Order: sequence, then C-alpha cells, then structure tokens
Amino acid sequence: MIEVSVQDVGNAKVLSITGDVDLYSSPEVRKELMALTDQKVKNILVDLNKVSYMDSSGVATLVEGLQQIGKYKGKLALFGLHSVVKEVFELSRLDKVFDIYPDQDSALEKLS
Amino acid sequence: MLDQTNLPPVADGDEVSQLRARVDTLSSLIEVSIIVNSTLDLDEVINLVMEKAQSVMKAEASAVMLLNEETGYLEWQVALGEVGQQVQETIRLKIGEGIAGWVAQTGEPVIVPDAQKDPRFANRVDKQTGFVTKSILAVPLKVKEKVIGIAEVINRVDGKAFNDDDLHLFSTFGRQVALAIENARMHKFMLEQQKFEQQLEAARIIQESFLPQKAPTDKFSRFRVAGKSIAASSIGGDFFDYIEIDESTVGLVTGDVAGKGIPAALFMARLVSDFRFQTQIEQDPAQILHTINNLLVDRTRRGMFVTLQYLLLDSLAGKVKSANAGHLPLIKLCRKSGQSEILVSENSAPLGILQNMQFSCQAIQLEPGDMLICVTDGIIEAKNKRGKLFSMERLASLLNRKWDGPDQVVNEVIANVNEFARGVAQHDDLTVTALQWVRC
Repeated sequence: MIEVSVQDVGNAKVLSITGDVDLYSSPEVRKELMALTDQKVKNILVDLNKVSYMDSSGVATLVEGLQQIGKYKGKLALFGLHSVVKEVFELSRLDKVFDIYPDQDSALEKLS
Repeated sequence: MLDQTNLPPVADGDEVSQLRARVDTLSSLIEVSIIVNSTLDLDEVINLVMEKAQSVMKAEASAVMLLNEETGYLEWQVALGEVGQQVQETIRLKIGEGIAGWVAQTGEPVIVPDAQKDPRFANRVDKQTGFVTKSILAVPLKVKEKVIGIAEVINRVDGKAFNDDDLHLFSTFGRQVALAIENARMHKFMLEQQKFEQQLEAARIIQESFLPQKAPTDKFSRFRVAGKSIAASSIGGDFFDYIEIDESTVGLVTGDVAGKGIPAALFMARLVSDFRFQTQIEQDPAQILHTINNLLVDRTRRGMFVTLQYLLLDSLAGKVKSANAGHLPLIKLCRKSGQSEILVSENSAPLGILQNMQFSCQAIQLEPGDMLICVTDGIIEAKNKRGKLFSMERLASLLNRKWDGPDQVVNEVIANVNEFARGVAQHDDLTVTALQWVRC
C-alpha cells in the first residue's frame, strides 16, 4: 500500500510518498500531484525518502507532473532518492530533465 | 461469526419469555450472517441487514452512513423509516457534526436517551423533515480498527430510551454491516483488477502486432539484422523496427515506452508509424530524434515517454550513425577478436518529455562481421531467485565470444536471461536487437 501526503514547507508544497511506486500505486501519486498542479502550485517538491522502488509508470507520473507544472512556469524538484531509484533516473538520463537534490533543505534553498 | 459474548444476558424472572427473546435475537443474527455471506451487492446487503436490525431493535428508523475520506462528509448508504428518503436526498453531515458525526470522529458507540437535550445533536435534520428524534443508539463501523462509517437506530417504538443490552446487540449488527461493506469493497477491487488485467492483455496484443514479423533481406548480403521481444504481463512497452531506407542503407530502432495498458500501446503504435515516416524524409539520426521528440511532447498523455536507440547503417562503408535518447548503451561485438565492448557515448534524455531537446549523433566504424547489440532494461534488470540483477556486465561477458550472426545472438541472450530468471515472474518486457555489417 502507498501513502501520499502534502505539507507546506517554506515556499513550497512537499509531496511525501511512502511505499513502492508502481503500476498499481502510481494512480494515487498522480491524483495528489495533479491536485497540486491543478491549483497551479508554484513550487512542488517530491520527497522520495520512503520510496525504495519505482517502476516506469511511477516515473511517468512524475514526468506528467513536470510537464503540467512547466505549462504555468512552476518548478518541480525531487529529493531523497534511494540509490535504486536514483539509478532508474540516471540510467534513462532523466536526471537531465528533473532537478534532483539530496535532501529537502538543499531543494528548498535552490527554490528560494 | 456471531459474537455470543455480546448478546443480552438472560435475566431472572420470566425465563421462558427471556429465552424466547434470546432465541429470536440469535435467529436474527444468524439470518444477518447468512445475508452478509449471500450477496456482494452492497446496497442490497446493507438494506437487508438494517431492515432486520430495525425490526429486532424495535426502532422507528435506522441508517447507515459511510465516511467519505476525501470530503470529510458522512454519506448516506441506507436510511429507513418514514422520512428516510427525504433525509437521504437533502441532508449531509460533516464528520464531527451531530451524533452520527461524533461517533464517526471518536470511534465510540453512544446511547443518547434524549436527543433534544444533547448538545451534540444536529436538530436541523428534524427541522427539515418534521421527524421528532427522541433517543438514538449509534455505533461506529470499523474495519481493522479504522472507522469507515456509522450505523444508528432512532426512537424505540415503546418510547423508552435505548439501553446497554440494545447497545450490545446493535454492536453485533454493526460488525456484520462493516464486514459486508469490506467484502463488497474487496470484491469491487478484485473486479477492477480483473478488468485491468484484461486491458493489459489487449494492449499486449496491440503491441505485438506492431513488431516486424521478419527482418529485411539484403540481396547483396552486406548486412544482417535481427530482433526479438518478449512482452511481460505487467509493465513494459518495448518495441523495435527495421527501416529500409534504400538498397544499401538500413535503420534499426529499439525503444521502450514508459507506461502500460492500451494508451501506452497506442502511443507506441503511433511512434512506430511516425518513425517510419520521418526516416523517409530525414537522414540524420539526431535530427530525426529531435523532430519525433517535439511530436511526442505535443501529444503525450499521462507523462508517457520513450527511451530509444536509433542505428543507421551505410552497408557500403560499414559506417553506423547512432543516436540515443535515454536508452541503454550499445554493445559492440568484434568479429576478429570475439570481444564485446560497451560503447559509452553521449546520451540524451528520453523522448516526449520536454520540447526542443538536443540530441547528438555518434559515428561508429565497423569491421566486416562486427555487430552492434541493443537491449532494453528488462534484460539487464531481470532478477534471479536471490534477487540478483542480470546486469549489463553479465550481458557483455555472455557476448564475449564469436557468434554466427544476429539471429543467434538475440535468441541466446533471451534464452540466457530466461534461464537466469527461472522461477521468477517476468516483470518487464525483454528485447534484444542486433545489427551486423557483413561486408562491402
């Protein structure tokens, strides 16, 4: 099972995900992420500290978020990627399109 | 199961009538248990259970409300009694509001002997309906300790307030209702899963129908190509295609669409057709990727993107131009030495994410008999029983020998991965393609 929560931190909304993000659980992440982009939230940070596995449907969900936020010139960044998840992003060169930070503080600092 | 510890105790006094009452109650609970196990239609089962509950509890009205976690409102599932229909159509209660809202919020059952004197009571319900609420007995409906709603009976027909015996009995009904709801929800979930699996199967058929049935033949025997793709049942979206530009030039595209299901299969089908079209009007692989990327960004839905490797062989010179969009590196097999080499080259982001991405083109000079191998991540991420990955290094080492040709390579790589992952469900599509320059 997956849990997704949203918190206000500084000038951003932090979307925290707990659990594996796969074909079955990614719709839940999508619902929360799209709710933020529908409200045109300017800065969205995705906390992946508690995600130990993500498949391509999970990555596609984040790509959709990135595309949506790009339409209104907002920013979406990821932080707290475990090595396995990080590898998924690096292997597909998704690190070229996503802003990826080690932790929340460094992500917030960059946004401000 | 019936919880007999919660049944009303047999009191002293008129033992026969007490026993009869107890038998009636037990019979009702057995009936309820049969109802709960007889149908998965949630509306039907809750209606039947609450009709039974209302009659056994000798109440004027009864209701079941379920908590909508998204809105924070209690939604009517059933409302029985003379104003039941009206209540369902006109009244909404927020969690915490009224007696029902209080029970949903605290997870505690409650007996309210005189509702009109209880500050928690939401009297707007009575005002709107004209019904006069006197006493209420409400219990939480819980699944694994989580409150999913409430059940309540209102006004005993004998005019008395509900008592602790009523509470014990109604709690048993409440547990049956919660069980029925859980059963129905699980059933619905399973039906949805089944529908999802059927969609995946349909998508797999679409996906496979777009794969080339046979490799192009070259009448001058200057090159040979081969490809094989084994679709997984869950995630995937692999494809490959041969592109015949002219007698001496052949293209080989290998890709992996992120996403699954019918939308991903259709995305892949359009991509294959766009690719065939674009390769007829442009030659430069990097430029083709640039054009295709912009096309895909315009129409991508739900974040679908594709990693892709495109090879273009000039078979008169043994020269290959390659462009890579987020795909795994190529492996080169040297005919002369039998050595494999992972070609780490400039790699761009996948296609379909952002407009106007730049892609670069690499030139690779082959010697006669050399081959280029391309795989998708399903190959290197295949796991064995101990959870170990097949890996790029294992693949390169497997390829470290002399081969007869592309067909042998693709078949043996797939067979080797299947052997490695024996006993583990295939998680992702497996695709291998190979291009060999034979001679000038």
